[in-house]
Amino acid sequence: MKIKLLFAALFFLAQQGMAQEWLVPDDQKNVQNPSEYNLDNVKKGKEIYLRDCKSCHGDPGKNNGLPLVPPPPDFTSDIMQANTDGELFYKITHGRGGMPQFETTISEDDRWRLVNYIRNFNPENEPVLVEEPPKKAKILASVNEEARQVEVFAEYQDKDSNYVVLAETPISIGAKKAFGTLPIGQVLTNEEGRAEYHIPESLIGDEQGMVTLVIDLGEGFITDDVVLDAAKVGQPKPTPKLIQKDVLWSTNENIQVWLLLSYLAAVLGAWGTIGYVVFQIFKISRAGKKQ
Amino acid sequence: MEKTKSPEESRKLLDKITFDLTRSIVKRDELTHFWYFILIMFAGVGLWGWGIQIRDGLGVTGMRDYVSWGMYIANFVFFVAISLIGFLISSSLHLLKIKWSHPISRVAEQVAIAGVALAGIIIVNDMGRPDRFLNVFLHGRFASPIIWDVTVVTTYLTISVLLYYIPLIPDLALIRDRGGDDIPKWKMQVYKILALGWNGNAEQYKLVYHAMRVLMILIIPVGLSIHTVTSWLFAATLRSGWDTTIFGPYFVAGAFVAGAAAVVILMYAYRVRYKLGEYFENLHFDYMGKLLVFVCLVYLYFNINEFWVPAYKMKTAEGIHLRNLFVGSFAPMFWWTQMTGLIIPIFLMLFKFFRKPLPLAIISVFILIASWLKRYIIVIPTLEHPFLPVQNVPEHFKHYSPTSIEIMITIFSFAAALLIITVLAKMFPVITIWEYAEEKGVNKEILSEPKK
Repeated sequence: MKIKLLFAALFFLAQQGMAQEWLVPDDQKNVQNPSEYNLDNVKKGKEIYLRDCKSCHGDPGKNNGLPLVPPPPDFTSDIMQANTDGELFYKITHGRGGMPQFETTISEDDRWRLVNYIRNFNPENEPVLVEEPPKKAKILASVNEEARQVEVFAEYQDKDSNYVVLAETPISIGAKKAFGTLPIGQVLTNEEGRAEYHIPESLIGDEQGMVTLVIDLGEGFITDDVVLDAAKVGQPKPTPKLIQKDVLWSTNENIQVWLLLSYLAAVLGAWGTIGYVVFQIFKISRAGKKQ
Repeated sequence: MEKTKSPEESRKLLDKITFDLTRSIVKRDELTHFWYFILIMFAGVGLWGWGIQIRDGLGVTGMRDYVSWGMYIANFVFFVAISLIGFLISSSLHLLKIKWSHPISRVAEQVAIAGVALAGIIIVNDMGRPDRFLNVFLHGRFASPIIWDVTVVTTYLTISVLLYYIPLIPDLALIRDRGGDDIPKWKMQVYKILALGWNGNAEQYKLVYHAMRVLMILIIPVGLSIHTVTSWLFAATLRSGWDTTIFGPYFVAGAFVAGAAAVVILMYAYRVRYKLGEYFENLHFDYMGKLLVFVCLVYLYFNINEFWVPAYKMKTAEGIHLRNLFVGSFAPMFWWTQMTGLIIPIFLMLFKFFRKPLPLAIISVFILIASWLKRYIIVIPTLEHPFLPVQNVPEHFKHYSPTSIEIMITIFSFAAALLIITVLAKMFPVITIWEYAEEKGVNKEILSEPKK
C-alpha cells in the first residue's frame, strides 16, 4: 500500500516536472532585485545556498546535482542563468514538483541574496566572490582545562610552499557528540595566527563532564581537524535515573521493601507449609512402626 | 457415604474394587506397547528438534525481533492452564465436601502434574541459552513477574506431587497387601517402598487427612497465583491486547475450561480402556458437563468484557489489534475458538444427551483444541503490532509463523505430557481405592487386613 502511494506520488511529481514550461506571471517576471549585487550579499547568499540548495543542486560548475527527474540544474548552467531575477525569485519562493517552496523558510531578503549569489556565476557579470583554490594549512591546538579555554595556532602554506601564520581567519570549535560534531563557536586568529576561545559554562559533556573538542578551519583550507580527546571542560551529563524512582519494576538494589517482603513472605509461607507436610509424611512412616 | 457393610460383604466388595482399579497396572497388551512407542517416538523427534535448536540457536524458530514470543509461550500458557484443574477438582470441590468429584481427584492431579511439569520444561525449550537457566534464580529480579512465575510454577508442581502422593499411600499399602499375583514384581517393590510401612492405624489416617487438608488449603492461593502471575507476564506490559486489568481472572476462568475438558477426555479414555464404567459413571460425566457449562459461561463472560469494552472505544492501537482479530488475518482462528471452544459447547451441553460420556468427550476434544488456539491468539497477534513504527525491516520480522522445529518441540511437549500421564496411570490406580471403598461402606479395618 505504502509502496503504491510512493509510486503514485513519484509519478505525479515527475509529470509536474516534465511539463516543460515553468511559467512565471508577467508582473513577477520583471521585478527588480532590491538587494545590491555586492560581496556581502553574495557571501550571505552562498551561506544560504550551502545550507538549503547544495544537497540537490550540487557544487556550482561541477554539474553534480542529484539525479532527479527533472534534474536540478547547475547554478552556472544556461538554463539557470536564462531566468530573469524576478523569475529566479518566483521559482525559489513557490517551488514546483521536486523543487520545494522556500517562502516559509527563507526570508524575502535572503531569497534575493540567493539570486545575487546565482548571478555571481553569470558570464555577463563580473564575479564579486572568487573562490580561491584551497590552501594547505596546519592547526595546533591545546585546551586549558582550568581556564576552560582552547588555545589555537594556525599556519598555511603560501605560494612558495612556506608555512606562514594564518591571520584573521575564523576557526570553528565543535564538540563531538553521538551523531556528529556540535558547533559551539567561532574565533578569529590574531596577527600572530593565534586565537583563544573561551568555552561556555553551559557546555554539557559526558557523565563525567568530559568533552571531545574538534577544531576546524573553514572552507578554503586543506587540513586535518584537530581533535582534543576527553577534556574536562563541560558540565556532567545528567542521566535520568528512571529505575531509582519509586517504581514497582525496579532492580534488586532499589526494590520496594514491602514488595520484597511480600514476595519472601509468600515464598517462605508456601515452602514452610510444604516442609510441614513432608514432615507429616515422616510421621506417617514412624506411626507405621508402632502397632 | 453408604451404610457400613458386613465384613464378608466388605471383603468381597473390596476385592472387586481392587481388581477393577488395578487393571490399568496389570494390563499390558500390544496397544500399551504401541501407545508407548508412539509417545516415545514423537517425544524423541521433538528432542532431536530441540538439539538442532540448541546447536543453531533460536534463529531456527519463527521468532524475530518483534514477535519474540511464539508457539512455545502459547504452549506454556496452555500447560499452566490445564494444570489448574487439579486445584479446582481435588481441592476446592473436596473442601466444599462435594462427593461426586472424589473419584475424579486423582485424574485431575495427573493432569495438574503433567501440565505444570511441561510448563516448566517448555520455558527451558524457549531459552536461547538453556545452560544459563540457573541465572534466573541467581540473578533474578524480585520485582519481576518472571521470577514470580518461576517461583510459583515450582511451588505448584511440588504441591501437586504431594497432593497426588499422600492420598496414594494407603492405596499403595492396599495393593502391596491385597494386590493380585499378576502385578509385576518390580512394581510391588516400588509400592512397598512408597507405602512407607503403612499399616492403617488411626494415627496414620489422621496424619493423612491432616496433610491432605493442609495441602488443599495451600493449593488454593498457589493455584490462583500460578495463573494470575502468568497473566501478569502479559498484563504488566503496555501492549494493546495485553494491557488490561481483567487478565488474572480471565486466565483463571479460561484455565478451568481447558483443564475440565482435559479431565473429561482422560476420564473417558480410562473408562473405555480399563473398563471403569462403574467408577466413572454417567453421573460423573453429567456433572462434569454441568461444571464445564458453568466454567465456560464464566469464561464467556470474561471474553465479552475483554473484547467488547475496548471494541466499543477502538483506541488507535487497540483498534488495529481488534480489527486484526475480528475481521483480519486472525479472524478465522479467533471465531473458531469462540464458537467451538465456548458458544457451541455451552449450547450443546445444556442438553442431557451431550453430557453422556462419548458426546461429552468429543465436545471436550474440541474445547481443548480451541483452548490451545486461544493461547496462540493471546500471544502472537499483539506482538505483531509493535508500538514503534516498523520501517526497513524484512517482511518476516513483522509476521510470525512457527517453523517445523517449533512444531516438533510442541509435539514433544504434548507427547511428554501424555507420557507422564500414561506412566502415572500404568503405575498407580487412577481412582483412590481406599476413599472409594470407604464411601461404598467398607470399614477401615477391612482395608488394612492382609490378604488371606
